[in-house]
Amino acid sequence: MIIKGGIVYDPANGIYGDEMDLFIDKGRMALQAKGEVIDASGLLVMPGGVDAHTHIAGKKVNTGRIMSPNDSRQGTEPRSAVCRPSTGYTVPNCYAMGYRYARMGYTTAFEAATPILEARHTHEELEEIPIIDKGALTLFGSNWQVMECVRDKDLSKLAAYVAWGLRSARGYGVKIVNPGGGEAWGFGANVKGINDTVPNFDVTPAEIIMGLAKANEMLHLPHSIHLHFNNLGKPGNYTTAIETLDLLKDIKPSRMRQIVHVAHMQFSAYGGTSWRDFESKAPVIADYFNAHSHATMDMGQMLFGSATTMTADAPLEYGNARLTHNKWSNHDIELEESSGVVPMNYFRKMLVNAVQWAIGLELALLVNDPWKVLMTTDHPNGSPFVNYPEVITLLMSKPKRDAEIATLHEQVPKRTTLAGIERELDWTDISIMTRAAPARVLGLDDKGHLGPGADGDVSIYNLRPLEVDTSLDHAIVKKALATAKYTIKGGVLVSKEGQILATPPGRTFWVDAAVPQADTDRLMIDLEEKFAKYYSIQIANYAVQDAYLPHAKVIRAGLPILSEVA
Amino acid sequence: MIKDAVCSFCGCLCDDINVEVEDGKVKRVRHACRLGSSKIMGHDRMQSPMIRKDGVLVASSFQEAYDRAAQILLQASKPLMYGWASTSCEAAKKGILLAEEVGAVLDSTATVCHGPSVIGIEEKGLPGATLGQVKNRADTIVFWGCNPAEAHPRHSLRYSSNSCGRFTPQGREGRKIIVIDVRETKTAKNADKFVRITPGSDYEVISALRMLVAGKGDTVPDEVGGVPKVDLADLADMLKAAKFGAVFFGLGITHSRGRYKNIDNALSLVAELNSHTKFVIMPMRGHYNVGGIGQVLAWSSGYPMSVDFTRGGPYFNPGETAACDLLARGDADAALIIAADAVSNFPRATAKALANIPVIQIDPYENPTTLLSDVVIPCAVVGVEVEGTAYRMDGLALRLRKMVDSSFPSDEEILMGILESVHKQRQLKANEGA
Amino acid sequence: MRTITITPKKAFRISVEAENISPDKFASLNIEQIKSLTVWQGNRKIMLSDLFTVEGDDAPDKAEETTIRLAGDFFQVKRIGEGMTAGVVEVQGSIGMHAGNNMKGGLLSIAGNADDWLAREMRGGKVVVMGNAGNYAGGGYRGEKCGMRGGEIEVKGSAGAYLGEHLCGGSIRIGGDAGDFPGAANQGGTIFIGGSTYLPGAEMSKGTITVKGEAKVLPSFQRLEIVQIDGLAFQKYAGDNVDNGKGELLVGVGSS
Repeated sequence: MIIKGGIVYDPANGIYGDEMDLFIDKGRMALQAKGEVIDASGLLVMPGGVDAHTHIAGKKVNTGRIMSPNDSRQGTEPRSAVCRPSTGYTVPNCYAMGYRYARMGYTTAFEAATPILEARHTHEELEEIPIIDKGALTLFGSNWQVMECVRDKDLSKLAAYVAWGLRSARGYGVKIVNPGGGEAWGFGANVKGINDTVPNFDVTPAEIIMGLAKANEMLHLPHSIHLHFNNLGKPGNYTTAIETLDLLKDIKPSRMRQIVHVAHMQFSAYGGTSWRDFESKAPVIADYFNAHSHATMDMGQMLFGSATTMTADAPLEYGNARLTHNKWSNHDIELEESSGVVPMNYFRKMLVNAVQWAIGLELALLVNDPWKVLMTTDHPNGSPFVNYPEVITLLMSKPKRDAEIATLHEQVPKRTTLAGIERELDWTDISIMTRAAPARVLGLDDKGHLGPGADGDVSIYNLRPLEVDTSLDHAIVKKALATAKYTIKGGVLVSKEGQILATPPGRTFWVDAAVPQADTDRLMIDLEEKFAKYYSIQIANYAVQDAYLPHAKVIRAGLPILSEVA
Repeated sequence: MIKDAVCSFCGCLCDDINVEVEDGKVKRVRHACRLGSSKIMGHDRMQSPMIRKDGVLVASSFQEAYDRAAQILLQASKPLMYGWASTSCEAAKKGILLAEEVGAVLDSTATVCHGPSVIGIEEKGLPGATLGQVKNRADTIVFWGCNPAEAHPRHSLRYSSNSCGRFTPQGREGRKIIVIDVRETKTAKNADKFVRITPGSDYEVISALRMLVAGKGDTVPDEVGGVPKVDLADLADMLKAAKFGAVFFGLGITHSRGRYKNIDNALSLVAELNSHTKFVIMPMRGHYNVGGIGQVLAWSSGYPMSVDFTRGGPYFNPGETAACDLLARGDADAALIIAADAVSNFPRATAKALANIPVIQIDPYENPTTLLSDVVIPCAVVGVEVEGTAYRMDGLALRLRKMVDSSFPSDEEILMGILESVHKQRQLKANEGA
Repeated sequence: MRTITITPKKAFRISVEAENISPDKFASLNIEQIKSLTVWQGNRKIMLSDLFTVEGDDAPDKAEETTIRLAGDFFQVKRIGEGMTAGVVEVQGSIGMHAGNNMKGGLLSIAGNADDWLAREMRGGKVVVMGNAGNYAGGGYRGEKCGMRGGEIEVKGSAGAYLGEHLCGGSIRIGGDAGDFPGAANQGGTIFIGGSTYLPGAEMSKGTITVKGEAKVLPSFQRLEIVQIDGLAFQKYAGDNVDNGKGELLVGVGSS
């Protein structure tokens, strides 16, 4: 395939709006190729979008669907010659997930949180999502084996467990959510801060985070730990964010990347002492990110309208439900995690929601380096992913932000600095925050860029970047970004002007990390006891079997193997 | 010897079953209860596909059966595809594809079982957990309108009353077991407290409990549902005094007066108990994979049961799109019954309706549904002869093993055979028209 | 005034979905065009004229000037008048499920009985049923907090279960009995039941339910005083107190 004359943004390779041709050969970017010619003259061309934090598959997503037929009935599209039926807005069915990402020009999306015990379900759903490549991060932060290794300061056993857990779950990386809190929630409690002791386990969240970060680096995993802070969603929680980030600043990364990726920073950038004096602390957080280089974040932007909150922060979800009188699902997973699902609505005239909306934008605009900030809405917690063009145009256009602020609760200017921020992001920034940076943060070497050898994932938009004024003509930009003119995945044209043309299956990335056998042997003694006494299933039936990953892409990692001397 | 096989009978999905296989046959089953053992050992089954000709079921080939089934489905304006609870998720996926292709209504046995629970969850959500949480933490367990001693024999030892876990080393000794039912069941005989309520009064009793738990007992009359207020107050106190409480419920509450409102109310009671202590609730799913068809249907269509695909976009409205609704109103003109015995489990009027329409049956075993069928296709047994995925009553997915070979095709293969025949017949018709 | 009469050509075995039969849908169309409108029967997409005869005034007119007369048995025909904003639909016999779904205005009058989900999620306008209504009359859709938000429903006969579930506004009046759980989870609106019912107002938070006959009342309702309305005595209750509801329930106390 040849893509002719596009205005290409490929920041990972130093290309910022050059007019050039692109070539795809056997599904990969190449220096030359033959075949189908796509005329992209003057149009915006970027690598396919990479969503590094989204909730698209697994038990909590399906619970979201089952408890919300009122959501499923929105966005219903009948089947076509190429497509299965679509349903849902905040909790789309599997087919809609794939088609809608593809229509928007996204070609990779990673499920943010999977408990090991229920990973089989996650993979069943991932396999049903057409077109996009995917992966799933594995939850470790409230896990009995993890906490015991941390308590015993046994780092090599912890690393062996992380490797074993990733293999059992066919997971891509280490996800930590409200560490320790998931276990406390097993009896209805929570942890109040990173130095609070987890009941019955004699460890603190700080120790859990440090232990997992070190194990992550010992294993040379492609991604860093991916962390949802304690105290998420509470007024005044910005101090927990800073405290936690400070813990990690002296750990050496094993790869050219961050030591910690912060999930949906917006929800942890709160000031005030209650909902009454609630205010943004985004400037303080942004200053921290500007002054340090060991952390990255994704925005977790909240948009007005309906959403479904779903997270492993179960106590938070219970709190959400009580506050808003909404329906509440909870699911605690033996020995491993907790989770909750609560449908929500966000309102312009509600001061707290308006400030939350401003905070996400403040963060992205106040952090100087776009490589540190990924554009997300923590789908579907902040808003469904189909609304990404709304977020992007808010970042690119001050007039648009001003018009929005004028419709909000009048106290908003007192609680955030957003109105005073002049900065408008450009295509370089956006292509970094939605393509190059997510790929680099995740450690996906062949994604998010268009250099030779990269996956042939390209998005072309009906927009002339050299002509359009992204500040004034934001409505035109939003419309163009919502429906890519062409989306190419692995060298196949999958979507044209919103019509899905092909639905090849995507691949599921997972990490197989090697560890010394001796450490695994020590680990197995613990695990065999846990299965014999505590788990409700046998160890033989625990791990995800090959049958669930017919399109696997395995990334090797782990401790360097020492070769034996004969 | 096959170790740690998963039993494919009830919603417990016990996975510690040891099976001795000799000469390609199951010889002995260890650890399973008598219900599961019987299933795995197997019994007389249908040997050949059959098609009804001149009123009599006559042996046919598999292809003839697929073709006739496809013809029936294509001729129908509103075919119903029902059952799914005793086959794998892999088969369910193919079934949904077929339903989309021919424009059918697809429903599971939840419609006569925990369908009301699903509707209750749509109102309130489900505050739940995996069974291992109950095993490791629960010191108070309530069985409401269910009788696991007879319907889920190993539930008590593996997951609930008699199980031992990290925070429950004393097992049964350290627990309070409460049974709420209209009669004293076998489970009730082994409970610490049995509360007998008047049939049909579950909703009011739950409302009274909610009031008592919230400290608003003054409003509650002296007797509710045949239970003295003082007893209900005792019960409320027991629940609040729990360190970790679990409520298991079954057909006694889903199918008595109130139906989904009963579940709706119970879900709220449990949600409110969470402001005092930790509580979870779980439906006692009957068939081993009724949970699975619900999960697969939900991620495929947005809804877990009673999905109408006739107009291309999935439409969900139990009361209108459920199997019993359609059959009772004569609003289905063909039926495909798979992995369920519709005639035995439907209300009579609904079962009778099957006599008036062409019926396709896919099942290993002959049962009353066979008598009404026009096409009968015997299949391999999932969990014994075919691998596949099933979801336990708490939503945990497990992989069922293949233990012995079989000459029968799997449900998945049969559904694909019918789908291929549908495509062929459509193609032929299109060519004729051209 | 434009009048169009629609009559079924035969009895229906499989139910028909005819959301295209509505004054709004007919407004800008002539008779030939109306005949070509789509209706669905199961998975068969067909034309109105395949199943019905269409007769009447040919010239297109505004919805508010349009009367659609349904002559014959329409009990198997669903979604008639869905979303209508004006005009009249006059059903001379009985009507199928979802008649008047999402109605915003106009009049739907039914001489016979109405099947389940009459005027689901109604917003405005008026529905009159001379016979009985089925289950979920004036109700909502599964999982939604609010069902009916406005308009008036009047049923001379009886109604089935779950009358006005999730009612948020508007009024429903039933001449006879209502089935189990009328006014469940209500957040507003008024319901009047001329006969008897069972467990009204479960989890209601606002609004008024009046039952002239007998009713089993939930243990979570607070008994207040006896009030007189039009010479009849009613026991007043406040509830549903499980959720700190501020609804009002009035139940008749025998004939005076």
